[in-house]
This record gives sequence, structure tokens and C-alpha cells, in this order.
Amino acid sequence: MEPLLKLTNVKKSFGDIHAIEQVNLDIHKQSVIGLVGGNGAGKTTLLRLMSGVYRPTSGSVELENNRPVSEMRSVLGVVPESTGLYSKLTAWENIRYHSRLHGIDDQLAWDRTYRFAKLLDIEQSLHRYTEGFSRGMKQKTALLRALAHGPQILLLDEPTGGLDVTSARTVRQLVRKLKEEGGTVIYSTHHLAEAQQVCDRIIIVHNGFIQADGTPEELLSLTGTESLEEAYVSLTSETARPRMEENEQPSKMSRIWRRLFTPKKQLEVNEDE
Amino acid sequence: MNSRKRIVIVAKKEIIEFIRDWRTIVALVLIPLLLFPLLFIAFPVVMQNEAAELNQKTVDILIQSNDIDDSLVDLIENQTAMVAVLPLDGNLSTLSDAENDTEELRNLEYDAILRIELRNDTWYYAILHLSTSEQSNEARSRILDVLIDWEDDLRTQRIESAGLDVESTLDPLQWDGPISNADVATKGEQAGMLLSLFIPFVLAIWTASAAVQPAIDMTVGERERGTLESLLSLPLTRTELLLGKWLAVVSITAVGVTLQIGGLLFGIAYLASDFIDVPSLSFAAIVLLALAVGFYGTMIVALYLALAMRSKSVKEAGSVLTPITLAMIMPILLTQFINLDDVEMFWFGVPFVNVLLGLRELLLNRIIIEHVIVWVLVSSMICLLTVRYAAKQFHREDIITTKS
Repeated sequence: MEPLLKLTNVKKSFGDIHAIEQVNLDIHKQSVIGLVGGNGAGKTTLLRLMSGVYRPTSGSVELENNRPVSEMRSVLGVVPESTGLYSKLTAWENIRYHSRLHGIDDQLAWDRTYRFAKLLDIEQSLHRYTEGFSRGMKQKTALLRALAHGPQILLLDEPTGGLDVTSARTVRQLVRKLKEEGGTVIYSTHHLAEAQQVCDRIIIVHNGFIQADGTPEELLSLTGTESLEEAYVSLTSETARPRMEENEQPSKMSRIWRRLFTPKKQLEVNEDE
Repeated sequence: MNSRKRIVIVAKKEIIEFIRDWRTIVALVLIPLLLFPLLFIAFPVVMQNEAAELNQKTVDILIQSNDIDDSLVDLIENQTAMVAVLPLDGNLSTLSDAENDTEELRNLEYDAILRIELRNDTWYYAILHLSTSEQSNEARSRILDVLIDWEDDLRTQRIESAGLDVESTLDPLQWDGPISNADVATKGEQAGMLLSLFIPFVLAIWTASAAVQPAIDMTVGERERGTLESLLSLPLTRTELLLGKWLAVVSITAVGVTLQIGGLLFGIAYLASDFIDVPSLSFAAIVLLALAVGFYGTMIVALYLALAMRSKSVKEAGSVLTPITLAMIMPILLTQFINLDDVEMFWFGVPFVNVLLGLRELLLNRIIIEHVIVWVLVSSMICLLTVRYAAKQFHREDIITTKS
């Protein structure tokens, strides 16, 4: 069966920093795939490559029929970690803005939104400004926004991060329902237990490499461990690198300028470190 | 869906989001609309009140003289003044040397000191005062008024005593008829001349300052709020995103500028019609004016969007764009000093300056084809370059996380 999304020898670098190294992945229809890894592992970079926000330094990210993902963004629904809602717009206006840019008729987008909003128990809040929304409400609205145009693949970056137990459970239920309806969900998380509950397949990302890829049972068998947690630890024993943002260095001019206004004693401490 | 539609969707959303902040409405609608009418009302009222207040004040004047006429002392006293008369120190090198009297003026013991002396039929005088004190300036001005009248009387007496006709002796050359009738420029053209120094200044400053906040908010602000990433994953090219945002900032700025100019013209027509008229412009001049403003707005907004997008944070964008806005005063001031009757062609090739000069010419209803061609061509090129630079910034892959 031809994969819905195919990553071939994908490498992504930012200057000297290699965020993703030689990734090969096939994503098939009607599956929930968990991208699991610690902070700075490369999960978000991988999702951004899949959504076409980043272009690979080498290799390719293609959808069905070998079409580059940047030309077929309408098949994707993306929920970034930050949710990305406009606080001065209502939940529906946020959703409608994206669905209009996807070229979807307002009525059709509303019907889809309302249906999923009922599942997420948020239909009463669709005409409220998102400014006062809780983290859970924002996450649910971002999910509705990603679903309103009827995507084939849903990319979720830490969708339950910061959510209370009930909201996180509702999100997981929705993911399962989407799969039942034939959808494909790629789900980034650093919670193994959550990945085990929701995903058919788990991809462990560590320091920019894919360390393992398989069903929970396959991972246990691969590592000879009894729990996924032990499997994860044995697969990621190498020290984790810092997050990409932490690696970013200020410009040369900024460094010189800061030195001028940093007490000498503090500079000596920093240099010792 | 076509590209134009996507650009309009982005622009509409940006405008809706922007105007939902009441502070924006105050800053972009009420202030520009009311600024000039309020200035036209408030300025004369404040100035008249201040002048009236100063007129009623009694000033302290010291007269130093050994031969002053009592009638002159009376005239000065009639100017709401407390007058003291003392003999003049004979050791002064000139009457203007303050010497020992400096402290009396600095301590505000006296507001002004009149020294006057008769030497060989001619009166010599000096008025000592403290130019940094309003009351001292007022005292000096009252003394001068009295002295001018007194001198006129003295002159008339002397001419008459010599048996001459006063008018023909004093004014052997006279203007015939009202001076204003001799100016062939219409009132509208005269207004255009005056406003050609003023309107480009207002337009340029307001465009530059009004574009700062929306440009920052829609770029680095969007990144800081985390809304940019989801936008970049939509079927929308980055050029479309830039153009949508550019259209929104230009529309917001244009509303502010239009309202301010509207307020200015309303103020002129209804509140200051005694002093100035609404400029008379041809249709072609109005169209070219709109084009010049459009060029200026395009360049500024594209440049601001690019620089804001390059910035690491809203704070950094603010500290980059604020000095640039202030620097825009340079070309504005430069254009005020250029003589339009003898302007060299190269000025119309200098970016920013050329558009402002074009505006000045157009407000005078002067359409000089060679000038228009040069500023339109150069400005089109600069617009393209600034938009290209902005597009380059929007196409940077790291705009979600960076950081220039």
C-alpha cells in the first residue's frame, strides 16, 4: 500500500546544528503514530518538516503521488504546541480564518466544527473570545481549527501538554474517533504512557535520530524489556542534547556588547563554567 | 482559491483584530481626526488668554536719566507700569552696558531699565532687560511702544518747525492700493504654498509613526504569541502572507493619515478661514498626490515589516523602528529648505526626499512632467526593493523561532 506521507533520507540542519539526521518514515492511512522523545530530541522539527513549515536540508517529504508537502497543505491539519490562537477573535472566527484560507465554504466549516465541538464539549464557547480561555479550551479550539477543513493527516504537537486530566482524556478520545473514521494522526508527546494508550505505532526520536519505530509490543521485544519506560531508557541512554533554542548563540556584536556591561567577576565565573 | 482572495482574507483578519482594541481607535481615529481642529481652537484661545493676562500685569520699570522729559515718564506710567526715576551714572562707556544693574534685573527687582540721555539734540537710549523672563520682555516691549510714539511726535515737531510737510518728508515713496491685490496668486494657491511646507511634514511623520505599532504587532508580535507557526502550515505562500499584512498596515495607516488631513482641512475651512484658505488643486494633482502618498506608505510599511520580522522580540523591534522613525525627520526637514523654483533634478532621484518634494510641488498645483517621471520611476524601484527585502525576510525559514 502506498504511504500517505513519506520521508526519505530527511536531514535538517540550522547552520552547524543538525536537528534531524537521515530520517526515513512511511506514514500509512488510518493510523495514530506517536513521536516520543525528550526536550530537544527533534520531534517539533520533524513535525514542522511534515507540515512544510521547514524544508529539508536534504532528502524529501512527499505525500501520495510524490507531491511535495508544501504544495498539498490542504491535506494537513496542524496543531502547534503554542495553539496559535488570536485572542481578539472568537473561537469560531479563529477557525473560520484558517478554513477560509483552506478555501472551505463557511457553512461546511461550521458544520464540521460544530460536530467536533460537541464531542469536545466546547460548542457553547464557539462565539466567545479566546482571550479568557483556559489552556484546555485553547487546545480544543486549535484542534477544531485543524479539523474544520477535513484534513487527511492531523499533526499534533504535544496536544495534551498542560491540560487537566479530563481535557487530556477528551483529546485522546477524539484522536481515537478520528482514526475510527479513517483519519491519520501524528502525535508528538514525551509521555510514554499516553503514547501507549493512543498510538498504534511509536517512533522514538533522540538527538535528531529515530532510535526505534514500531508497535509497543515490537519495541518491548526489540529491547528485551518489560515496560515501555524501560525500553525508552535503554534506547536513549546517550546524553540528551539541549533544546535547539538553547543552542542559539547571540551575534558577535551582541556578545562583545554584553561583555562590556557584565561585571568582571561574573565573566570569570562564566568562563570557568 | 486565487492569491488575491487569500491576501484579502489575511488583511481583513489583521484589520478586525487590530480595531478590536479600543486604544487603537483612539490612537488611529480620534487623535488624528481631532488633532488639528483642537489645535485651531485651542491655540488662539490659549494665546489670547496669555496675552490678555500679560497685558494686565503691572511691570516695574526703572528710568535712569539726567534730562528725561516728564511727559515721557507719564506715557510709560500709563502702560500699567510702576516707574522709578534715578540719575544716570556718568561713568558708563555706553548705555547698553548693564554693569552694576545686572543683579537688579536678575533678582527681578525691576523688569526693565530704560537709560536715556540727550546729547547734542539727539536722544540716546538703551533698554536693559532679561530675555529669559516673559515679564521682562513685556516691560521692554511696553517701553519700546512708548518710545516709538514719542519719537514720532518729536520727529513731526522738528519737521514742522523746519517748515516742511510731514507726510511727504517722511514717506516720499508710498504703495498705492491694498498690497494683497498686487499678488496674482489666488487665495487657494497661497494656501497651497503654505500647506506645501506643512502637509508633507504631517503626512511623512504620521505615516512613519502610525505604521510602527501594527508592523510590529503583525510580525514579531505574531511570532511571540505563537500564532505564526499555524499560519505558515496553511496553503498560503509567504509572499501572500506578507502582502496581506502589508495591505492591513497600509490600510490602517491610510485611515489615520486621511483622517488627519481631513481634520486639518476641516480646521482650515471652518476654524481658520480668516487666515488661510483650502488649497485649490487640479484633478491630476490630486491623483498624483495619492500616488506619492501611496509610494511613501509602501516603502515605509514594507521596510518596517521587514525589520520587525528580523527582530528577535517585540522589544527589539521597537528599539529598531523608533530611531528609524525619528531618522525619517531628516528627509522631511531637508525638503522644507529646498527652493522649488530652482530645484535641481537630482533631488527627485533621492529616495523619500523625492516623494516629499513631489508632494510639495503638487500642493502648489505644479505638475512638472520631468519631475513626476523621475520621482515615479525612482520611487517605483525603491518600492520594489523594499517589498523584495520584506519578502526575503518573510521567506526565512527560521522566522518561527528567530531571531535574526
